[in-house]
Amino acid sequence: MKNRGYATAIAGVMSLGLMAGAALAEPKTNMLHQWDSGSDAAAIAKLGEMFTAAGGKWEQTSIAGHTANTLAKLRADVIAGNAPPAVQLKGPEIAEWNATGKTADLDALAKEEGWEKVVAPELLPVMKPTGKWVAAPMNIHRINWIWGSNKGMAKAGITELPKTWAEFNAACDKAVAAKVICLAHFSQDWTDATTFEVVVYGQNIDLFRKAFVEGDTTALRSPEMIKAFEQYRLMISKYMDPAIAGRDYDTTTAMLAKGDAAFFIMGDWEIGILTAAGMKQGADYVCQQAPTDWGKPGFILNSDSVVFFTQKDPDYIAGQKLLAHLILSPEFQTVFNQAKGSIPARLDVDLSKGFNPCQQLSKKDLQASIADGTLVRSMAHNMTVLQKYRGAMMEVITTFVNTPNMSAKDAANAMADAVEAQKS
Amino acid sequence: MTEATTLAAQAPGPSLRERLQRAMPFIVLAPSLVASFIYVFVFTIWTFYISLSDSSLLPTYGFVGFQHYISIWANQRWQIAYSNLFLFSALYVVFAIVIGLGLAIAIDQRVRGEAIWRTIFLYPLAVSFAVTGTVWAWLYSPNAGIEFFVRSLGWSDFTFRLTTDRRLAIYAVIATGIWQSSGFAMALFLAGLRSVDPDLVKAAQIDGAGMFRIYRKVIIPTIAPIAIAVTVVLLQFAIKTFDLVAALTNNGGPGVSTTFPATYVYDLMFQRGQIAEGATAAILMLAALAVVLVPYALWLVWRRRAESGHG
Amino acid sequence: MVDAAVRASIDDAAASLAARRHFAGRVGVYAFLTFFAFIYVLPLFVIVANSFRELPEIIQNGLIGFPHSISFKAWGTVWSSYCVGGTCAGIQHNFFNSLEMTIPATIISTMLGLLNGYILSKWRFYGSEVIFTCMIFGVFMPGQVSLMPWAFILGQVGLANSIAGLILIHCVQGVSFTTLFCRNYYVNIPDDLIKAARIDGAGFWRIFFKIILPLSPPILIVTVIWQFTGIWNEYLFGVVFTAGRAQPITASLVGMATGGTNVRVYDVMSAGVLIGAIPPLLIYFFGGKYFVRGLTQGAIK
Repeated sequence: MKNRGYATAIAGVMSLGLMAGAALAEPKTNMLHQWDSGSDAAAIAKLGEMFTAAGGKWEQTSIAGHTANTLAKLRADVIAGNAPPAVQLKGPEIAEWNATGKTADLDALAKEEGWEKVVAPELLPVMKPTGKWVAAPMNIHRINWIWGSNKGMAKAGITELPKTWAEFNAACDKAVAAKVICLAHFSQDWTDATTFEVVVYGQNIDLFRKAFVEGDTTALRSPEMIKAFEQYRLMISKYMDPAIAGRDYDTTTAMLAKGDAAFFIMGDWEIGILTAAGMKQGADYVCQQAPTDWGKPGFILNSDSVVFFTQKDPDYIAGQKLLAHLILSPEFQTVFNQAKGSIPARLDVDLSKGFNPCQQLSKKDLQASIADGTLVRSMAHNMTVLQKYRGAMMEVITTFVNTPNMSAKDAANAMADAVEAQKS
Repeated sequence: MTEATTLAAQAPGPSLRERLQRAMPFIVLAPSLVASFIYVFVFTIWTFYISLSDSSLLPTYGFVGFQHYISIWANQRWQIAYSNLFLFSALYVVFAIVIGLGLAIAIDQRVRGEAIWRTIFLYPLAVSFAVTGTVWAWLYSPNAGIEFFVRSLGWSDFTFRLTTDRRLAIYAVIATGIWQSSGFAMALFLAGLRSVDPDLVKAAQIDGAGMFRIYRKVIIPTIAPIAIAVTVVLLQFAIKTFDLVAALTNNGGPGVSTTFPATYVYDLMFQRGQIAEGATAAILMLAALAVVLVPYALWLVWRRRAESGHG
Repeated sequence: MVDAAVRASIDDAAASLAARRHFAGRVGVYAFLTFFAFIYVLPLFVIVANSFRELPEIIQNGLIGFPHSISFKAWGTVWSSYCVGGTCAGIQHNFFNSLEMTIPATIISTMLGLLNGYILSKWRFYGSEVIFTCMIFGVFMPGQVSLMPWAFILGQVGLANSIAGLILIHCVQGVSFTTLFCRNYYVNIPDDLIKAARIDGAGFWRIFFKIILPLSPPILIVTVIWQFTGIWNEYLFGVVFTAGRAQPITASLVGMATGGTNVRVYDVMSAGVLIGAIPPLLIYFFGGKYFVRGLTQGAIK
């Protein structure tokens, strides 16, 4: 009698244990990304902390340098049959990798947690290229900011940030007269393209949509594009200083800190750089939407996201679910974006505590821009056209910046030709 | 097995042991040979096939013919990259040899403290191209490098802006490459100068030849083969130029003026997901190399056949 | 070398003229060497100085300058607490990762080079010259081209993302160089030595250990120096074929240098660069003499 009791009890405990063991895979992950150092790495470290706190085993592979290095490693891993469980990918790349059939499907989790309702609508087609969720968005960056150095502006006699390109040119003329560098800039392919797409967007949204979102070669060749290049040439030759090539990012920010330059056109990650340089919003720098000629709130959007590749190991699969869940969680969205200078990809996160006033303005402008239909995604930051078109455009733009005698007409034609060559 | 060895021990033919001995060189060489063969030929042939394929994001094997070979030449950045390769290779090799030879001759003049001179000129070889590019980028920087320093000494009009000028940046790359590698040329030439037969020199002296003539007739011919060897080693550095440019001019700046074939290949294969086009560029890169190397290799084989014919 | 002083003993007037020319010549030589030495040493000086300067001082006074006060802070930070590569533990584990990869790869590729060079120079067979020339082509393969095929192979043999996989790659790629060096060196060992040994009944291995190896130290040093430096300083494969905390030191150095959107910490970077360069630098400082000597004895022909 007693033996049977014990046996049953032991059998019961053992079967419970077996069931529990089968149900509880230990979530682990190895996230491949390029946020290798500084504030970027600190932001990702927060994700790691949350993952570990939720019981998962956190590992990451961070690759420094050009994005190409991260993508090279991704390819090597995929070719070796060893696709990483989580990779930082964005924009049209998500659709491209999805088309290889190697990505994991997040639809179940997305339905469970109701992502459709809280993620910004402009991001949905990017994260769901064929209608199924394959990527988890981490943030929303705004590209079209103009930053003003209080010191520089005071020296130049400029009292407020320009709202239109005409005002910008007038303010810069004042700066030039006061021997202040009007627009700080450092020439690399992505910065040249960033500034240029801000110019194009500010002059003409339709042009931006046709040329940079759709890649239409007629638009690239059009008189409106030539006008944009002409404005850009004015800025390069008169309002920037000659040493833009070979300068690096923090030297440029130092120009703002010292008051050597008045303005800077750059995305919202600049907040982190300015803070690291010891500058305070309001007291040392001010922010505003970059000049637009059509008077409404505008927003050029960039978003970092994580894509998951199908895995065989159940621990990795569990880790992917956990990671996706954490990335979309309001806690992570808050903590990560406070560190990065961007705003959450979830629209229902409260920004009133711990966020810079420029970030709060960014969210306000985002919602207004959605309402007004002026929201676009960024070409310079790889959210619209395929890399081969983007690369071709950026080559021409950066050549234009560094070739003083290249005419606006030649640049527009060269850009259109380069894109056409990729289409054949 | 035992029967065979017993038979073999009795038979007049080669034993198993002897056969093994005879085969030993092949056995030992085989792994390296197979590995090198795969590494050189199979990889190259694979790359060539990919250049004829429709590969984009990942390698795929649909055949599309030679269209990439035609379209690549319409790309201005590729044209610049290809011409940069030739310009860089020519100037880099020639000047590294000239400077290396000059330094070797100077050190060979029985100067004091040879170990110090030699170490100074040789140490750049120990440093990776990426680090060299980074440090020289600092030096070339107008805001904080040499120009800034000289201006802070009082010479306020001094300009030294190689990496910010799209016409001069390539020369900055070349100069930095020469800085890195001329020590290697120096080491080899120094070794070569030391191996000049002193009897020949004495004979020439007795004949009344001046120093210049001695160099021309005796010393230079001795070290000519060394120049060729140095050229080979420097050429392989030149063709692989990637880390140096990535660090020095941020992967091809200003604009695309210092882009190189290796950076183009890397960008197309990995950044832009255009593997087939990248493979095309890679094959063209190797073709440029083959134009130089194949004649040299043929000459080497011919020369060695001639040597062993006499030996 | 022609000693002008010897000829000058013939004619006194010509002697003093020649002596002056000689002196001018000596000055010229030293001036020439000093000028170039300055250019060569400048980057090393900048790096060493910046590793001891404080960052605010560097930003204010530019990258070329003497330290106002010697500070070891940057060295400590970069070794154990700097945030790079996703963790805040400095570059020490990257340093040991590099050692773990470079030492075996150097030893194996050198050994293979010695053996291959021995075979291709002393055991010539039909086609050995052609084989030698073909192996040399391996020296020219750019890394970008071989990256994807290597990924495939490593995946097939199950060595992806491991130090062993990296060692395999570096060995195969290094064998071309080491065979080139060793073969050209061994060609100068008289064939008669080998012939005599074979007549005495010595076989392949006996000849190698008793004759070839004892004559090898110069080329051994050249090869080891060359391989160690090349493998230690390699960036692309080191980054692509490792994961997580297994990355070599070149990856963390690039991480510090290409801050991208981050503040450049020049002092920490300089210390990091020096730490990353110390093993090869030490090898060149101490082995430079043997490097030249090894080359003197005909490593490259």
